[in-house]
Amino acid sequence: MTTAPGEQVTTTGAGHRGWVGVAFVSPAALLFVVFILGPFVAAIILSFYSWDMLTPSKFNGIGNFTQMFSDATLYKALANTFIFSIASVITHLIGGFLLALGVNRLASRALSYFVRTSLFFPFVISWAAVALLWKYVLDPTFGIVTYYLGEIGITSPDWFTDPHWALPAIIAIDWWHTIGFTFIIMLAGLQTVPGELIEAARSDGCNGWQVLWNVTIPLMSPTIFFAGVITFIGAFQIFDPVQIITPNGGPDNATLTIVMYLYQKGFQSFQVGYASAVSLLVFAIMAAVTALQFWASKKWVHSV
Amino acid sequence: MSVDLTKPTGVETADDPAPRPRRRRRRFTPGQVLLGVVLAVLGVVMLAPLVWLLVQSFTEEGDAFGIPPGWLPKPFTTQNFQDIDGLIPFWRMALNSLIVAVISTGGSLLVSVLAAYGFSRLPFRGRDRIFALMLAALMVPVQMTIIPVFILMRNLHMIDTLQALWLPALINVFSIFFFRQYFNTIPKELDEAARIDGASHLWILFRLIVPLSGPALAAMAILTFEASWNNYFGPLIFLSSHDKMTLPIGLVTLQAGQGGSSVVVFAAITAVVVPVLVVFLIFQRAFVASIASAGIRG
Repeated sequence: MTTAPGEQVTTTGAGHRGWVGVAFVSPAALLFVVFILGPFVAAIILSFYSWDMLTPSKFNGIGNFTQMFSDATLYKALANTFIFSIASVITHLIGGFLLALGVNRLASRALSYFVRTSLFFPFVISWAAVALLWKYVLDPTFGIVTYYLGEIGITSPDWFTDPHWALPAIIAIDWWHTIGFTFIIMLAGLQTVPGELIEAARSDGCNGWQVLWNVTIPLMSPTIFFAGVITFIGAFQIFDPVQIITPNGGPDNATLTIVMYLYQKGFQSFQVGYASAVSLLVFAIMAAVTALQFWASKKWVHSV
Repeated sequence: MSVDLTKPTGVETADDPAPRPRRRRRRFTPGQVLLGVVLAVLGVVMLAPLVWLLVQSFTEEGDAFGIPPGWLPKPFTTQNFQDIDGLIPFWRMALNSLIVAVISTGGSLLVSVLAAYGFSRLPFRGRDRIFALMLAALMVPVQMTIIPVFILMRNLHMIDTLQALWLPALINVFSIFFFRQYFNTIPKELDEAARIDGASHLWILFRLIVPLSGPALAAMAILTFEASWNNYFGPLIFLSSHDKMTLPIGLVTLQAGQGGSSVVVFAAITAVVVPVLVVFLIFQRAFVASIASAGIRG
């Protein structure tokens, strides 16, 4: 890989000494083929077979895909995942934006540091620890949420065994865990809004709300949009907390998410072909939603 | 120290010396006091579960989890921490977590930096098409590739080994993309001058480009390490025996398992969480900057 001194040096121009570039890229390319591209293709192929990892696989045509259409549990998992994702996007964007706005206006440095740190702390902790902790925090007998809600006269439901409250509880836990991320992204975006524009709007007689609606939010729309896409993609793949808190999908499958269903099919009942077909569906939905969101951004987002 | 990497972030941190021109001093107006109170209360509420966790894990078993909740560890004990090791091999699990995180981070940084240099500086036929293919693969969720990777690992007899976790982690397409963007901002004249002096590409990469890429390396190192350290999905699928497990799956095993009382579970969670929070407090600035620059959500 060494070039002898005096040899003509060309780092541009395709083809010439191209093997050096190939050598640098090849470890990554090899790993990419073995652990991403190959498995991706394999998952597509597997989705046309039925296989339990023990007996020989059988070609199943589009059988797995037709089976999906009549799978009520799959519909339930999809509905839960969409509800969770949409709720997650809305609560994170509103919460993150308001918090960034508030912290940005705080005059006290010490208080600002305290708020930023306490918002960000939970995000650093692993989902496993967060999920286990919240299982106790929301415990119906000794959980602190139950106790303090009781103090202000609210009787808590039995969060994880009540089919109406299991998913909202997971949404709340997810908010606690990841709001720090949304907040940081929003704060960074807020600080790119030029102060002169806000001063100019103020001196033209705009009040606080008008500045917010007509200056700050339009200028922050790329940030808000980015945070929305990232939150949706993360939320759609939610697995760790639901698997840890409600390993069987909760009461009446109230917290069964699509990735959890994938895990159950692939690694618990060993329907490898069917699980692969479901994974293809997850991929298709995520690709479609991402494309849709980028299309929508062209319409609404302030030019970047 | 600059935190601006691929896009302007300017995340404000506690000791940010640059005065913000926009922020006028508005001390002690009623609005400012109200805002301060609301945010302070919210901060306390966010921290409350963690404080409760800490307090219960230092309280004697009979008095923990009381009603109303105790906010001081009375009577104080460290017995709960001593009881962890009888139930799960905590130190072995911590070592496993560390091994996997260190190899994943170091290995993927090396692989990514090499590839990013190729994609940024060394033209060859089909290069841009390969790069585009890799970027497209960012859309493929890990849950889609996990079944074939599991079958592959089974055929390689790597189920229930740590290799099954760090080997697939060596390829990190986002990190290649991130470094390539960063390398593209380093003037090409620098390495061309070094080439004329007879430097090899490896020399240019590791003695010139890498030292100039400190913030980008720090950001990816922090994010990769954290992702590996907190990973639950991978260990759940690949690991089954206690002495191979990493901490996240070990915690869940302890909670679900036999005889582990709640205070011991809490002590174990504390033992996992507190070091992470301390490390975070020390590197808070770099950590927040890395999140803001890369925009990766855990």
